[in-house]
Amino acid sequence: MMDQMDNDTTGLPKKLTLYIAGQTPKSIAAIQNLERICAESLPGKYVIEVVDLRKSPQLAREHGIVAIPTLVRELPVPIRKIIGDLSNTEKVLVNLQVGEDE
Amino acid sequence: MTSQVPVRAESLNADLRRRLEEAEEVIRAIREGEIDALVVRNETLGEEIFTLEGGVESYRSFMEAMNIGAAAFDDATNLLYANNELATLVGISRDELDSSRLFAALGADGAASVKALIASPGLKPSGTEVKLAVAGAVRYLLVSAGQMMLGTSRGVAVTFTDISARIQAEKRRQAEQTALAILASAVEAVVVCDVAGTVTHANAAAFALASGDPISLSFNEAFALDFRGATGLMQGGDFLAVVADGQAIQGIEAVAPKSRSSKDVLVSASPLIVDGESSGTVVTLVDLSRRKAAEKQQLLLMGELDHRVKNTLALVVSISNRTASTEDTIDGFRKAFAGRIHALAATHNVLADRSWASILLSEVLAAELAPYVTDFGARLTIIGNDVEILPRAAIAFGLVVHELATNAVKYGSLSTDSGTVLVSIFPHDNHIEVVWKERGGPPVKPPTRKGFGDTVITRSLQYSPKGGASLSFEKDGILCVIKMPIEDVSIVDH
Repeated sequence: MMDQMDNDTTGLPKKLTLYIAGQTPKSIAAIQNLERICAESLPGKYVIEVVDLRKSPQLAREHGIVAIPTLVRELPVPIRKIIGDLSNTEKVLVNLQVGEDE
Repeated sequence: MTSQVPVRAESLNADLRRRLEEAEEVIRAIREGEIDALVVRNETLGEEIFTLEGGVESYRSFMEAMNIGAAAFDDATNLLYANNELATLVGISRDELDSSRLFAALGADGAASVKALIASPGLKPSGTEVKLAVAGAVRYLLVSAGQMMLGTSRGVAVTFTDISARIQAEKRRQAEQTALAILASAVEAVVVCDVAGTVTHANAAAFALASGDPISLSFNEAFALDFRGATGLMQGGDFLAVVADGQAIQGIEAVAPKSRSSKDVLVSASPLIVDGESSGTVVTLVDLSRRKAAEKQQLLLMGELDHRVKNTLALVVSISNRTASTEDTIDGFRKAFAGRIHALAATHNVLADRSWASILLSEVLAAELAPYVTDFGARLTIIGNDVEILPRAAIAFGLVVHELATNAVKYGSLSTDSGTVLVSIFPHDNHIEVVWKERGGPPVKPPTRKGFGDTVITRSLQYSPKGGASLSFEKDGILCVIKMPIEDVSIVDH
């Protein structure tokens, strides 16, 4: 896990946490979609951390995860949660860019 | 105090609004099938994960139990699941097997055809064939695809069947057919034996050497080769064991006594290597009969040549002595001797051209008259069927013709511009009569003394009681009757 320091102003890549449940089709699709979106549209802006809740279900508590897959962007504030397999690229980009220019 | 209440209320409202949005988003995602697992909090056990995949787990168990490679893909050709067998087939560990590695292992062409299959599953029921190299070995996979549902998602089930063994077997069958065709087409006898020395394959030429079907007999039984030149160390099929151990043999002469005419053969053998192991021997038997016949002919000719050289030297000595005794001057001797030696040489040349076989009588006449007559056709007429004469008679006849020709050029019909020679050939029971008659020359006077020419003419063909010659000095031209022994002559069919 990356430390929780505010790296909004440092220009370093920010962390995205993707919660999945093992090898379910939507989990795999979400990983593939997120990797593609970051590589194509947001190169160098984010690092992705994949959390497999099937292995460590207690980690769901930190971000109050209910549905899987869910992507969490903590910084910049406000915290954003994108639920689903991230197949809607536009929706993902809109959510990830919230607060970017503030 | 009063100003803090609205701020707190506003923050509470924002938090509630965010939670409501999140709850709505979860419901929307569930409704639209965008998620396939939920986190459920249990008071005693803590968080638990429930997947919404339906029968997927049992489907996976089923896939694992299959002895063919199986995988599930989503619509976007992402690999959702692959069984252990597929990981083994493509040579990638189960943990590392993902879409990109799988498609990389299938190669550019293989990946393209499998992706096309996933894009339109079920269109090609027979599937597509993919060739890939795993750990240095080529593997052929038959890939088929069909649609399926994975819980809330649509997916494609793909099976990978290893058909390498089938394809290898087919290739082996084709290779064997080609090998058999090569075997059958070979001109030389080719025999294939197993490690025990039993004949398993043989071509037509080999059948001829065994005078029958050698298949399933031991090599020695079938061919009984006699290695005469190889001391007692080589017998029958002994050499096959040595060859099967990897020691090829080449060019050993033997006799194949079972062939119709006991043929001489040249035996070569090499181990038959199949899949890196010796599984028998390949023996070739080259027919040496013709070569042996040629060697015999050569030996015969060499003996004949030796005999002839001795005869010729004796003849030269005799010619020299007799010419010396009949010529008065050194110059006369030189001319007469040289002429007779040239006559001998001319007949020799014609005989040598024929490899010392028989030559035509007309050829001897032409060779001997060539130095004296330019318009050969106009001055010489031959009547009767031409005959072929053997070397012994040809040399004698050549000397006789030489003497007649030199005499005719000096004193007879060939000394004038218009004189001719008529040669008539008459067959008799035990000899052929050749009559030399000159016409159109100056009147003939019998010689005052007998020269060597007379001796040559009358004696040359007397080596046989049936042969000989007589000379008459008729006024209108010399007449010479030559008898050639019938055993040295054969009539030529025209």
